[in-house]
Amino acid sequence: MSLGFPAAIAHLPESRQRALLAVGSFLLPILVWCMISYLPFLWHPKVMVEEPGGVGYFQAGMLIDHADFAEQARQMREQGLALPSGIPANPIYLPAPHLVAKAFYTGFTTPPQGRDGVWLHESLWHSIQIIFWGFVISSLFGVPLGILGGTYTVLGRLQEPFIEFFRYLPAPAFGALAVAVLGIYDGPKIAIIVIGTFFQQVLVIANTTRKLEITLIEAARTLGTRGARLITKVVLPGILPDLYRDQRILLGWAWTYLIVAELIGTSSGITWYITQQARYQHFENVYAAIIIIGIIGFGSDLLLARLGRRLFPWDRTQERK
Amino acid sequence: MTKSKTSSAMKRWLARALLPIAAAACSFAAQAAQPLKIGYSDWPGWVAWQVAIEKDWFKAAGVDVKFEWFDYSASMDAFAAGKIDAVTMTNGDALVTGSGGAKSVMLMLTDYSNGNDMIVAKPGIKSLAELKGKKVALEQGLVEHLLLLNGLKKAGLKESDVKLVNVKTNETPQTLTAADISAIGAWQPVSGEAMKAVPGSKPIYTSADEPGLIYDVLAANPASVKARRDEWIKVLKVWDKVVAYINDPKTQPDAVKIMAGKSGVSPAEYLPLLKGTKLLSLEEGKKVYVKGSGFDSLYGSTKTVNEFNVAAGVYKKAENVDAYLDPSFTNAK
Amino acid sequence: MDALPSYLDQSEAVRARFARIRQREVILEVRGLHKRYQSAQGETEALRDINFKVRRREFVCVIGPSGCGKSTLIRILAGLESHSAGDVLLDDKPVSGPGRDRGMVFQGYSLFPWLTVKKNVMFGPEISGFSHDSAEREARLWLDVVGLSKFADAYPHELSGGMRQRVAIARALVNQPRILLMDEPFGALDAQTRAKMQTHLLEIWRNLDITILFITHDLDEAIYLADRVLVLKAHPGEVQEVIEVPVPRPRLPGQFSSPEFRATKDRLEALIHPAEEDGDLSPALAEDSALQQHMIRFTDVADNVE
Ligand SMILES: Nc1ncnc2c1ncn2[C@@H]1O[C@H](COP(=O)(O)OP(=O)(O)OP(=O)(O)O)[C@@H](O)[C@H]1O
Ligand SMILES: [Mg+2]
Repeated sequence: MSLGFPAAIAHLPESRQRALLAVGSFLLPILVWCMISYLPFLWHPKVMVEEPGGVGYFQAGMLIDHADFAEQARQMREQGLALPSGIPANPIYLPAPHLVAKAFYTGFTTPPQGRDGVWLHESLWHSIQIIFWGFVISSLFGVPLGILGGTYTVLGRLQEPFIEFFRYLPAPAFGALAVAVLGIYDGPKIAIIVIGTFFQQVLVIANTTRKLEITLIEAARTLGTRGARLITKVVLPGILPDLYRDQRILLGWAWTYLIVAELIGTSSGITWYITQQARYQHFENVYAAIIIIGIIGFGSDLLLARLGRRLFPWDRTQERK
Repeated sequence: MTKSKTSSAMKRWLARALLPIAAAACSFAAQAAQPLKIGYSDWPGWVAWQVAIEKDWFKAAGVDVKFEWFDYSASMDAFAAGKIDAVTMTNGDALVTGSGGAKSVMLMLTDYSNGNDMIVAKPGIKSLAELKGKKVALEQGLVEHLLLLNGLKKAGLKESDVKLVNVKTNETPQTLTAADISAIGAWQPVSGEAMKAVPGSKPIYTSADEPGLIYDVLAANPASVKARRDEWIKVLKVWDKVVAYINDPKTQPDAVKIMAGKSGVSPAEYLPLLKGTKLLSLEEGKKVYVKGSGFDSLYGSTKTVNEFNVAAGVYKKAENVDAYLDPSFTNAK
Repeated sequence: MDALPSYLDQSEAVRARFARIRQREVILEVRGLHKRYQSAQGETEALRDINFKVRRREFVCVIGPSGCGKSTLIRILAGLESHSAGDVLLDDKPVSGPGRDRGMVFQGYSLFPWLTVKKNVMFGPEISGFSHDSAEREARLWLDVVGLSKFADAYPHELSGGMRQRVAIARALVNQPRILLMDEPFGALDAQTRAKMQTHLLEIWRNLDITILFITHDLDEAIYLADRVLVLKAHPGEVQEVIEVPVPRPRLPGQFSSPEFRATKDRLEALIHPAEEDGDLSPALAEDSALQQHMIRFTDVADNVE
């Protein structure tokens, strides 16, 4: 048992306290980010040039190190030329929150450029479909294999060494191969998600299956259950809540493969947006896109957790910790 | 009761999710036979095709093409896998891709880098000759390496006169800040970042000093070149319209808007990149696509890259350069 | 303190009852049963030459020190474990594998957590092909027998330990097995619940045509419930004695202090916790003394709680 809530919110009902802390867990990092961005005396290792003055290579909007800026200013003073002016700034890779918020908004409201362009939400939807199909296909094979491997020792020993081996092969390495076999569109991308998820899935689910209380299987056997019905009537329902939780975690895993998956074949989805914006140093757009992925991933997991509590009323571990 | 309701909603949702994928699969099957498939990527000389795509000029020219948008290296992978008929790449990369088995024929030149590739030196160093005995950081085996060798030769130096430090092109800006590094080689926008990282540093040698060191081309699968010659010639005809539209000051803003839109940046940001690229009309291309040994000839350039690639260990055995070159498409009436 | 009668002395009524039991047919017969386990530490002989018979509607308890092979025995009978030699006959036919003719109640909670109480009980009938409706009818009947009709739609985790074991009993009985095998079913319950469950079990046993083989390590429980007590010893597991319990039926909690009860208990004590013999430690005792020697003092010697 951990310590309770601080006195300030101790009088509130527990659900409210939890909600408050959850909000706080997001607000705190945002607060730190705001402070670093808006308080000029915090960090701000650069100077953004406003007036180049007499310095030849300075341009308005350029980011210069403090020391270099001071050195140039000193030289200008000595030479009696116009002094440059500037304001403290953060490096380009740390845009301020309001810029990211604006990028977030404009990202979704800017109509696509050109005829074959797509809206940002269409890119996202495309990415979500890649994940969805990759995960469904992986699960179609991974879940049954995992359950069988966890139930029948022989099968487990037959498949697991190879899968353990394969699991260490980096999924992205199969990119070119996947293109050669599956073409340039969504096929190879889905394949990368499948390769990235499947092997973990088999192992994780086999493990979960093995953790099922053996007494339950024995009880079912003494009640006359045999063969395949042991799996459908006991193993499957017995591990279902844990299987569901595993699948939630594996789905997150699948998301982490999205970025490599979408780099192969034709450029599409949210990855295209992120890499392209990063190439041109539009980091506020990059942050916005990363945050979107976070929101989708976190949001869908929250939904699934809630659904889990409905689906498995007998399983108390589905409840919030 | 509730169960059946949710399951039918689920089915509908599944169907909706499935549709685009199924459609993509179908369209792929259909395309395999029909349009010419060209892979292109984010480089001004290639994004230029976007103008023709948006303006429907291929249809007007009576040729069925489908452009597929890739990451550069993914586009070459797709070409190597035989999934597209042609791809935009550098003449050097055409040889590298071919050394792996995916031979190609360079149908035409699209452009050459005109200043986008550069050797950036620390303040105080004004020429390549001053690099003698100093450390230069760049990614070995890539264009900048070739650019440096070319420049050193002109300055009367050999490769062994400088100390090469192998770093990733993306990391050259930080590398330049190191005390013992005198210069780096990188392309835009990385080279620009390097100059910002070390205020006062300047390019001392750029691709503009040796136009044609590297040419960008449209290279096609030899089988497709043979079987669909007439269609490829029609594709090339469209290119002239593209170059004219981009170069004409009246239409340039519209062209830049289209290209910047494809790359996901603002037109103002895009313009300098375009300026660092010399687009070649078919007429200009024709002049380059002649036998010769200098960099003003695609033959000469490709031969040099071939030698460089072997020397740098990119591939072991020199490629047969002539098999890659066929000016007849560029010259076709 | 009065001198106790011998545990072998039986009143007239008790002797007549045992005579009647001996007339009944044998449900379960175990002949020359051996069980050896191979493990990394070598071979363990868990059971050696076990022989006994259980007759119809008899209540037999198996008792013995920890590790003597009680669970091994009952698991072999249930068909969950193979045996190395000997025969297990149910109605004169050898058993192989688990079957509906032998119901089993485990010590740990073995209810299916994803099923409601009613569905747990319906599990057996449904597996053996009953229609949903008749399975449900059966389940309701047996839930009524164990007094849990009100909890038909609850999930196991919502029940107390005693209630869960009652469901487990109903779940085993609904299959109408020839014999009910119970492996320390009340071992995890508190004393009060345990006493209630014992009375309840006797009640069920009295009213049904059911034979029970019941494992326990609680001497009172064994005497209170059983007609006969099979006493095992450990290392290897062998039958030490089969005791006919002289306590008359119907059994009542008041009998715990009756002379027959105490005499039987003394005998069981003597069998299970024999007085230490010099120099010749039984393996179990050797284990105990090893435990004691290994106890390290973590406190200051002066800081003695005793
Ligand atoms: N699967 C197994 N592999 C090896 N040895 C085993 C196995 N199961 C039981 N044994 C051994 O067989 C002996 C009997 O074990 P068993 O579980 O039947 O004892 P028990 O009388 O039920 O004990 P308890 O009262 O503690 O439940 C023990 O020595 C045990 O270590
Ligand atoms: Mg036991």
